[in-house]
Amino acid sequence: GRVTSSDDGSPLPGVTIQVKGGNRGTNTDAQGNYRISAPSNAQLVFSFIGYTTQEVAVNNRSTLNVALAGDSQQLNEIVVIGYGTQTKRDATGSIGSVKGSAIANMPIQSFEAGLAGRTAGVQITVPNGVLNNPPVFRIRGTNSISLSSQPLIVVDGVPTFTGDYSSTSAPANPLASINPNDIESMDVAKDAAATAIYGSRAANGVVFITTKRGKAGALKVNYDGWVGFSNAYRLPEMLNAQEYISFKSQAVANNPTASAIKYTQTNDANGKPIDTRWYDQVYRQGVSHNHNINLSGGSEKTNYYFSLGYSNQEGILKKNDFQRINTLFNVDSKLSKLFTIGGKISYSNEQNLAATSSGSLYGEAFNTGGLGRLAVVLPPILAPYNNDGSYNTNGPAIGSANNISGISTLSYYNPVVSLENNRSNSESNHIQSNAYLQFKPLDWITLRSSYGIDYLFVNNDIFWSPKGGDGFSYNGYGSAINGNYKTWVWTNTAQFDKTFAGSHNLSLLVGQEQQRRTSRAFGINRQGLSDAAYTQIQAGWVTNNPTGMSYGENYLLSGFGRLNYNFKERYFLSANIRQDEYSALGQKKGTFWGASAGWEITQEGFWKAARLDNVFSSFKIRGSYGKVGNIGGIGDYTPYSTYASGLYGGASTLYFSNAGNPNLTWETSTKTDVGFNFGLFNDRITGEVAYYKNDINNLILYVAQAPSAGLPTNPPQNIGTMYNKGLEFSVNARVINGRNFQWNSNFNITFNKNEVTSLAPGLNVLQTTIGGSTGLETVNQTAPGYSLGQLFVVRTNGVDPATGKRIFVNSAGQNVYYQYYAPTGQFNYSTTPDGTTRYVSPTGGTSITQAADGVMYANVLPKQYGGWDNTFKYKNFDLSVLMTYQLGFYVYYGTNAGLHDQRWWNNHRDVLTDAWAKEGDTGKKYAKPVYGDNVSNGSSMPLDINVFRGDFLRLRSVSLGYTLPASLTSKARISNLRVYVSGQNLGLVTKYPGPDPEVSSNGANSNNSTSSQGVDRNTIGNARTITVGLRAGF
Amino acid sequence: CNRDLLSPIPQDSVADVSAFSTVSRIQTQLLSLYGGTGGLKDGNVYGGRYVIYGDIRGEDFINETSNLVTGSDVWALNPTNSATAVSTLWNSAYLAINKCNIFLDGMAAGGTAVVGADLGNQYIAEAKLIRGLLYYSLLQYYARPYPDGNGNKPGLPLRLTGIKGAGQSNLARSTVAEVYAQVLKDLNEAEAGLPSTYTAAADRVTRAHKNTAIALKTRVYLSMQNYAAVVTEANKIVSAAAPFTSASGVAHALQPDITTVFTTYTTSESIFSMPMTTTSGDFPGTQNQLGYYYSPTSANGGVGNGEYSLNPNGIVSNPSWTATDKRRSFLKQSGTTTVKNWLNKYKTISPYTDYVPVIRYSEVLLNLAEAKVRSGNTVDAQSVALLNAVRNRSDAATTYTAANFATPTDLINAILLERRIEFMGEGLRNNDLMRLLQTIPAKGTAQAKTPSDNGYIWPIAAQELALNRLMTDN
Repeated sequence: GRVTSSDDGSPLPGVTIQVKGGNRGTNTDAQGNYRISAPSNAQLVFSFIGYTTQEVAVNNRSTLNVALAGDSQQLNEIVVIGYGTQTKRDATGSIGSVKGSAIANMPIQSFEAGLAGRTAGVQITVPNGVLNNPPVFRIRGTNSISLSSQPLIVVDGVPTFTGDYSSTSAPANPLASINPNDIESMDVAKDAAATAIYGSRAANGVVFITTKRGKAGALKVNYDGWVGFSNAYRLPEMLNAQEYISFKSQAVANNPTASAIKYTQTNDANGKPIDTRWYDQVYRQGVSHNHNINLSGGSEKTNYYFSLGYSNQEGILKKNDFQRINTLFNVDSKLSKLFTIGGKISYSNEQNLAATSSGSLYGEAFNTGGLGRLAVVLPPILAPYNNDGSYNTNGPAIGSANNISGISTLSYYNPVVSLENNRSNSESNHIQSNAYLQFKPLDWITLRSSYGIDYLFVNNDIFWSPKGGDGFSYNGYGSAINGNYKTWVWTNTAQFDKTFAGSHNLSLLVGQEQQRRTSRAFGINRQGLSDAAYTQIQAGWVTNNPTGMSYGENYLLSGFGRLNYNFKERYFLSANIRQDEYSALGQKKGTFWGASAGWEITQEGFWKAARLDNVFSSFKIRGSYGKVGNIGGIGDYTPYSTYASGLYGGASTLYFSNAGNPNLTWETSTKTDVGFNFGLFNDRITGEVAYYKNDINNLILYVAQAPSAGLPTNPPQNIGTMYNKGLEFSVNARVINGRNFQWNSNFNITFNKNEVTSLAPGLNVLQTTIGGSTGLETVNQTAPGYSLGQLFVVRTNGVDPATGKRIFVNSAGQNVYYQYYAPTGQFNYSTTPDGTTRYVSPTGGTSITQAADGVMYANVLPKQYGGWDNTFKYKNFDLSVLMTYQLGFYVYYGTNAGLHDQRWWNNHRDVLTDAWAKEGDTGKKYAKPVYGDNVSNGSSMPLDINVFRGDFLRLRSVSLGYTLPASLTSKARISNLRVYVSGQNLGLVTKYPGPDPEVSSNGANSNNSTSSQGVDRNTIGNARTITVGLRAGF
Repeated sequence: CNRDLLSPIPQDSVADVSAFSTVSRIQTQLLSLYGGTGGLKDGNVYGGRYVIYGDIRGEDFINETSNLVTGSDVWALNPTNSATAVSTLWNSAYLAINKCNIFLDGMAAGGTAVVGADLGNQYIAEAKLIRGLLYYSLLQYYARPYPDGNGNKPGLPLRLTGIKGAGQSNLARSTVAEVYAQVLKDLNEAEAGLPSTYTAAADRVTRAHKNTAIALKTRVYLSMQNYAAVVTEANKIVSAAAPFTSASGVAHALQPDITTVFTTYTTSESIFSMPMTTTSGDFPGTQNQLGYYYSPTSANGGVGNGEYSLNPNGIVSNPSWTATDKRRSFLKQSGTTTVKNWLNKYKTISPYTDYVPVIRYSEVLLNLAEAKVRSGNTVDAQSVALLNAVRNRSDAATTYTAANFATPTDLINAILLERRIEFMGEGLRNNDLMRLLQTIPAKGTAQAKTPSDNGYIWPIAAQELALNRLMTDN
């Protein structure tokens, strides 16, 4: 007989043919032919990797030709649905699945950084190029304002920690403890039906991480290793020393009050003119390497998986490193016919290292020591060292040496001092473990009890040298904070699976769960070094104060159930319900539910009669509806009004410190989902289309009260409303499925619309400052009728060709001309270009302000996003190309304001061509340079000129591999050996002028940053990384 | 399952329900009305900024740093509704007022029963004194002075019950007279309930006693131009003739050397001061410290940031302030070509633990001196003696006699001048200008403000206007 591929009829070599129940077997030859002797009533089993195994009865035939179908069809895949699994074919909820292998060898710290573009509805934004900062993870839009919008992450049944658990400038994402190499699958539950089993925590979606387990068979050993090289890219081009002096001197000449300022280029110790490229002082090529080894195997009764991982990654910023040592052990054992026992233990140690602030994390955007900012702001005529080799400093700041005169202090730090002397590290020790006992008294009843822990211990270590920068004014500063975060979860479930009358398939789950979390943190802050050589917190210091104190506990008590029913795999019904009681709520008890229905039309007679089954191998219409909640990020004691302790002249005091709300409850998310899944041409093409709407009610807002009410905090109220709605489309096709060449393509797109429909009565807008930088810059404003965190900026109308003045547009739409230096008789703001007519606003103001003249300008949430993933195989070569994109959104490029600021700061080279220089210069982007001008180009208030479309298409990942022929490797007792080279972020198609439109100065900080996306303020972009690696199986 | 875990008891704070459950909690709560975050001692109130604003609004200081955060707009008399100073003082003072109200409510609802009637009455009196002082203090910046229409102008939202939750934002302004009436009611009731003195010497300065209430009333009545009442109150604690001391309660008296008052903070001259220690939370906090504002930088021999120097055309250059006056030792000079004078009354290093004076006995003496002249409209002999008491101890060379003053006005002016010298850096200048409806003189680049000018008093905080629907601006 002959075995061919059902897709294109090409012969399949190497297919295993076995007689069922016997020992005899053979393989097809290069032409797909085989010969086997078997009894005339035998069953032959045809199996081949990548294809669905078929059993065919011989039935006295002497020639048996078989066409095998590829099994990359998603519909038979198992998906995790919470407290159980289901085949994708039977699932009626909306679930996206990604195999662990897709991200296993990417140069990332945590798995979710690799999820971008891989499944519909999932939006990942990596906020900056600092290692191990948590990506902004959104499923079907941003679903909260004050609480977390990050999905619930459940690792092997135990919900884990998300966010940044570091108190230093080196972020610590606890998800980095899960080695991507150990992940079997990632299933993303999106709609109410799929998430409701997680009740009050389901509103942002649920992600199920399943780690690898052993399979019966001989011991398998795998080694994975790679070496990577990371670089910064698309950095703004800055003025060199010559250009700086001539351009900035012109600005000084244009401002008579600044005539004392002189810029001079001097020679360095080697006699060469100083022309410092500050990028070279701050950035580097990061060299990383990563090694994993795992052992797995098992018998009929027991299987095991054991792995060790080591990762040492260097970021593009100097001294920013990530090191992880981790181990995982999974074991399952059938004790008897009735009992199964198993469990896992994993331990990970992560070192998150940084010298000082990158300026990129939440709260760091305006740090005077932020490395990303210093690299662009510092003048090229200054050097990091004086000619005698000492640091060029003036107090905490960089010194002006003999190069800048007339300015007393330059206020920004010398980054080299901080890089060489400071540290801001955090170390995590993370233990995730669970054990279960399963009892199957009858073949349709499964009782299971499992107990899991997730313990995270974080040590923070900050040292600021007194030599300059942050530590100068303290004469040295140290801080050490120790945080312990512990979760335990005990889950008991009973599962009943039974088929009645041969066609009614029923599956019932009931369960009960408790989850307990505690957190403890304490620390010491020490100032004033006793000896200049000291660098440790334990050394001698002058001043000691407590820092980082926190104490928390919460408890979640739940009961849940799920009923799945299908009739002949044709009609599907599913219902989920969960009751949660949560300690951190005022109204603690809530019931959440989701229901769904599906109809597999291809099973219907009329479908077959219409011969549609020739085309459609499956077509399932499904829909779901339900109500779930969000409690992510609620403080443990939020509903309480509490009194805290203070001091009065050394005596203890107790004061009203927190205004609670005893009626506080979860945010409610009502989710509707309608869609269909289809398979075409024997599932060669599969796809999914879904419409969703998520109505969010009872949004918790910390509603400001009149200050004269005298409340210490804004009490939380369940008051706002918002929705996300959209369409998801994904298609997976085995485009070419030949013998030597295969091309698999997966495309997905999500259209999302977000709108805030109401805030609190009397609360018209919510403003979010950049990274919590109180008072420094506010550019996101949330208001009913707009999407979350709309950019709120002042409009401009170009630069006046005659005078070079910036033209602002006031609230009434009038042009207002601005000059930083106003000669006698003229005004800073005037309604005429000559500056003689003073501008007076309708409310009497004489200047343009953001409060009076800002407009709701542009949305920051993408309207479309998704990815296109292609894998090609040619003989032993494989190539995968993943592109991701986000469209229809804007980014506030705040850094650009600084790049064109007319204080002594260095400028982008485009000022040489794009700044107004002489009368008649038309269409210039930037105003006439006048020393000190921080208004015209956007430093003092956000302007529309610094808002850009963020649309991008990114060549996120390309990987080219070669698998050595088995004939070669088997001699070395290697069962398979693949070598590869891959690149991350190789290409970026965007009109965005900054380094990277996919950044967020506000990171993924769970509170208050959901409404402050789309801001690029002094943030460092993502790295471009090339890796070379190999994978060997023994 | 353990259902108790669903209702956790906070371990690092005390839940509302049990805040008045023990004697100790009530005592510590009472102390919080004085001190720490959101109390009278808050860095935005009497811990620093309230006092600072009182001086820099006047004519004797020059702003050096043009920093809005350190009150350059307050100094220039043009802060906006959203100015840091305008909003933080308003917020912090009302935070403290609400804490007083919550405390008074809690005492009425059972707190007194926990501590017993005696202590209960004393604590209630202390809370009322603090509330009265806060309302009086707010009036000095946010409302027209009492003499402008005898208090018929808009005053403050008068909040007298504790607020712990949302929904009570709206409250209209009472008139200035109504607020003053409440201030006096609080101080009178405080006087009745307060102890005469405390066992611990420190408590006599840092906690309210009968004389504290009386002393504050002399200040309040002076602001209302009710001079007869000033005399009545002051006579309770000022002896008829020199050396002036208080016969009842704490034995207040002037220190022989004024510099002692600013190094030994608990002398009998300090009637009420805000204590400080080096523990975090127990000092004024960043950019709130008197020393940080007035003391020059270390380069100029000080401990501060040199935010404000002394106006070379202000009181410093007044010839009647003689060179040998001990109070000139509070000045520090810097520079050779450009000479600047700085106030170095507050000398402790960061975190700046100088006690901040709220009221001193010398103020009571000068309040009485001025009130007596004004109420009698004569060159009152006791007034001259009181003025001399304050002047002589620092300036032995100058002794006034009645003959020095041709008219009562001359004596009044001498007293007012003495106040500028004696209380420089203690926050009284603004209040003195306001109560007399005087023009705030020009200084440096800042223009003068007549009582009818915009900027004579502060605007109302923008957030209050936005969130309290019944609030009106000045």
